[in-house]
Amino acid sequence: MKKILGIAVAIIVGLVVLAGYFFQSQLSPILALVFEWGLVLIGVAGLIGIGYLLAMHMRKIVRWEKRSFFSIIVLIAFLFAMIAGILLTPQNALYRDLVLNVQIPVETSLLAILAVTLFYASLRLIRVRGWTPMSIAFLASAIFSLILDLGIIQTGVGTIASTVLAFFERLPLVGARGILLGMALGGLVVGLRVLLAIDRPYGE
Amino acid sequence: MTWTLLGWIFIGLGAVILLVLGWIIKLKGYPPRRMPAIQYLQGSRVAAIERGRHQQIVLGHQLWSRVYPGLGLFALSVLPSLLDPENLVNGDQAVSTSDGSVVVFAQQIIQGRYQEGFSTSLHESSVRAALPGPTPLSFTAGLLADVQAHPHGSLALFGDYGPEAALWAMSAARRGGQVFAAAGSIASQAVLYLELRDLLLGEEVFMVPGLLAPTSLNLAGLLTEDILRIGLILLLIAGVILTLVGVV
Repeated sequence: MKKILGIAVAIIVGLVVLAGYFFQSQLSPILALVFEWGLVLIGVAGLIGIGYLLAMHMRKIVRWEKRSFFSIIVLIAFLFAMIAGILLTPQNALYRDLVLNVQIPVETSLLAILAVTLFYASLRLIRVRGWTPMSIAFLASAIFSLILDLGIIQTGVGTIASTVLAFFERLPLVGARGILLGMALGGLVVGLRVLLAIDRPYGE
Repeated sequence: MTWTLLGWIFIGLGAVILLVLGWIIKLKGYPPRRMPAIQYLQGSRVAAIERGRHQQIVLGHQLWSRVYPGLGLFALSVLPSLLDPENLVNGDQAVSTSDGSVVVFAQQIIQGRYQEGFSTSLHESSVRAALPGPTPLSFTAGLLADVQAHPHGSLALFGDYGPEAALWAMSAARRGGQVFAAAGSIASQAVLYLELRDLLLGEEVFMVPGLLAPTSLNLAGLLTEDILRIGLILLLIAGVILTLVGVV
């Protein structure tokens, strides 16, 4: 019974939201209510997610697993940020400075590591994939795009060279659109599978 | 014809094809498809159990986004096929995400699978959903720490994630783990192409449920996607020709 109720609610809400895209004026009051409930539920789920995060670190500390020391640091930082947020509120300038001056440099350093990693990975591309047509095309297009982005190739207005250059500059956008169209089709089929209760991502 | 009408036709056609093909395949059968990347994923999971190594399933960073609306749901729909009795009993498997709602749904699916496979009075599986960090980069920090602490036998990436996936893949592979990715976003496809051989790109990503669990409805989903894809290609070609000859 619980299962059937869940499926019925999911299908009805899904169909109402889908219909709302096509009949916006007629269904806007219902849609607003559904989205409001959805936002509240997502907020609650976010809180539960934080609970999962804390539980995971507490479990690590209790079992004294490898690197539990870092879990202690995470919990202390979390408690500090939470208590300071409650006392000062997130709009407070001091609180924003305290949090952002830690979070932004840490996340930026991870991005820097990522940039170096990607550079290293691109150097290893041929070793990983071999000299295949795809890997050669990938490498050539990456180098070509980088050269184009540098802006060192200049052409006169209205010439054949400028038309050819504009064509090559459009290629990444064309490729991205092709991939996004494929993804949209896949997304459509996933949506239909959920609406027809073939997939039940809200719980088996 | 308006865009709204075209949208209705496409969605309605998709639903009808899915249901009709599901019914036909149930009656007449249809051979399951093989894809080397999926066979690699299945092999890596078996090897991880045999070698007593940890398995990790990543479900991405968000349930819904404007650019990739289906990826979060897709990641959750793959999860049941990866929770077979061997893995539920073995338990050395974690399901991680950085989104609170995905972690709640994932935990529900894990509990549901365990109850289905064993007894309804049992609801505790040692496979757990985890949230190593609530933002993409804090998630990366948490996941990398986990990969270093427990040698991973298998790392499977699904859902909506970005270029930081390259760090996860490299870290797991360097410690002898086998990495499989269904890369949804364009950024993740580009960076994982550099690192992985077994990678699904673009619309192939959404085929995973049908390839892992070839039930009649899952196979119908695969065929529906193929038919819609061919239909869209024909529409695009027709649109280009009509534009060239000046009709549109």
